[in-house]
Formats: sequence, C-alpha cells, structure tokens
Amino acid sequence: MLSAQERAQITQVWDLIAGHEAQFGAELLLRLFTVYPSTKGYFPHLSACQDAAQLLSHGQRMLAAVGAAVQHMDNLRAALSPLADLHALVLRVDPANFPLLIQCFQVVLASHLQDEFTVEMQAAWDKFLTGVAVVLTEKYR
Amino acid sequence: MVHFTAEEKVAITSLWSKMNVEEAGGEALGRLLVVYPWTQRFFDNFGNLSSPSAILGNPKVKAHGKKVLTSFGDAIKNMDNLKTTFAKLSELHCDKLHVDPENFRLLGNVMVIILATHFGKEFTPEVQAAWQKLVSAVAIALGHKYH
Repeated sequence: MLSAQERAQITQVWDLIAGHEAQFGAELLLRLFTVYPSTKGYFPHLSACQDAAQLLSHGQRMLAAVGAAVQHMDNLRAALSPLADLHALVLRVDPANFPLLIQCFQVVLASHLQDEFTVEMQAAWDKFLTGVAVVLTEKYR
Repeated sequence: MVHFTAEEKVAITSLWSKMNVEEAGGEALGRLLVVYPWTQRFFDNFGNLSSPSAILGNPKVKAHGKKVLTSFGDAIKNMDNLKTTFAKLSELHCDKLHVDPENFRLLGNVMVIILATHFGKEFTPEVQAAWQKLVSAVAIALGHKYH
C-alpha cells in the first residue's frame, strides 16, 4: 500500500541511516526512556544503568530490523514473521507503546536531517513504521 | 495540575523565544494535514488541499496555523494553570467545532517534530521530554471540558 514516491522517500532516508544503525538506535532508545519512562519496564537489562555499550548494541539490533523491513517493504509479514512471533509470545509489548517509539524515531530523523526532513519524508516514514508496528503486533491474539 | 520543573520551563521558554511563531504554526498545521490526511475533514472550506505543496502553501492553512500556535503561546505563559487557561477553547472545540481530542495529541506530536527540525542537536532527549509533557498537558486541557 506504499506508493512509488513513498518507497523512494523511505529508501532515501534509510540510505542516510545505513552504516550508523548503532548510533541512531542508541539515540532512539535514549529518547524513548527519557520521554516515556514507562517504556523502561520492557528493557530491564538496558534501562537500569543505561550503559552506552548496551544501548548501542540493542539499538543496532532494532535498527537492523528496521533495515530488513525497508528491504522488504512489499512483504513485511513474511520478512518480520520471526519478530512478530517474538513480540507475541515473549516480549508482549503493549501495542500502545509502538506510537511512542515511532514518535521518537521521527524526532531522531528530524533532529539529524533538520531542514532536509521534508513533510513527504515524515508522512512516508510515519506510514511505514505504523505498518511495521501493525505486523509486529498482529499475532498477539 | 501538571507541575513543570524549573529545568522543564527553561527548556520550553528558551526554544519558544527563538521560534518564528507565524511560520511554525503554518508548518505544524500543514504537516498535520499531510501526514494525517483524515484531519482535513475539519477544513473543507480551506480551498486547495490537493498536494503537500498545495497544503503547505495554502494561505488559509498558514493563517489558521498562526492562530493555533499563538494560542499555544498562552499555554507557555500559563504552564501551571492550563486547564483554566484553555477552558473556553475546550468548550469551543467540543460544542461548536466537534474536534476529536485525539487531534490535539497528533498536532502536539507534529509540533515536537518541527522543533526537532529547527533545533537539531539542541533538541536533546531532555528538551524533547519537556516539550512532549507540555503538548500532552495542553491536549488534556483542551479536552477537559468535553461532555
């Protein structure tokens, strides 16, 4: 359901993140924990000491998954199936938290790209990440 | 009542003082209408909303955005008293405008993203937290008189 322009916006922005997944991911998690402290409960190993190395490591993992989603924009369900299982059976993150993560993701993009973070990019990424969240929570029940 | 710490107030007022409220207002409303197109339902009489550039260049969008953000300035002057400050506006949005309060949350989040584009690295996690707290409190105040 992504248009050709939306796909272009998504890959254009991803090209700027690729190679820096750890750094972006760590900042994403730091913003999430600072702005929405209730989310820390889902990351007990991370959020207690907020050790930089651990944030980078986990941030890298999360952004790598986003990268996989970008590669498979047309078939998110298949590409993210193992992660969907993980979230449904093990992590069980309440779906209400995904919009919080998405807001922080947008702020990370906006603060790095500044004037270059166009409304088209914002719209495409909001739609894309919301689609990812839907897939990740689809098997919950 | 929501309580803002001294640090939060500084994070908010220092950025606000550097903002071009008129431009930012138009941008905030414009981005809302583009990113969440269903919000256009309240603006059928605004003319051309057919594309992102049409929306962001639309004079009615700019004017209304300026109005909304100027009102937000009142929030910043009355951070300790938001529910009273926005009581009349809350009634208006419920009784006359019939705006779903979810829209206040969406607009608040868009404003935070715009601040991030303007201020870059200066928009630290702590500064973001202060602003998210403010936009959330304003959204609640605007929804407070709904019945």
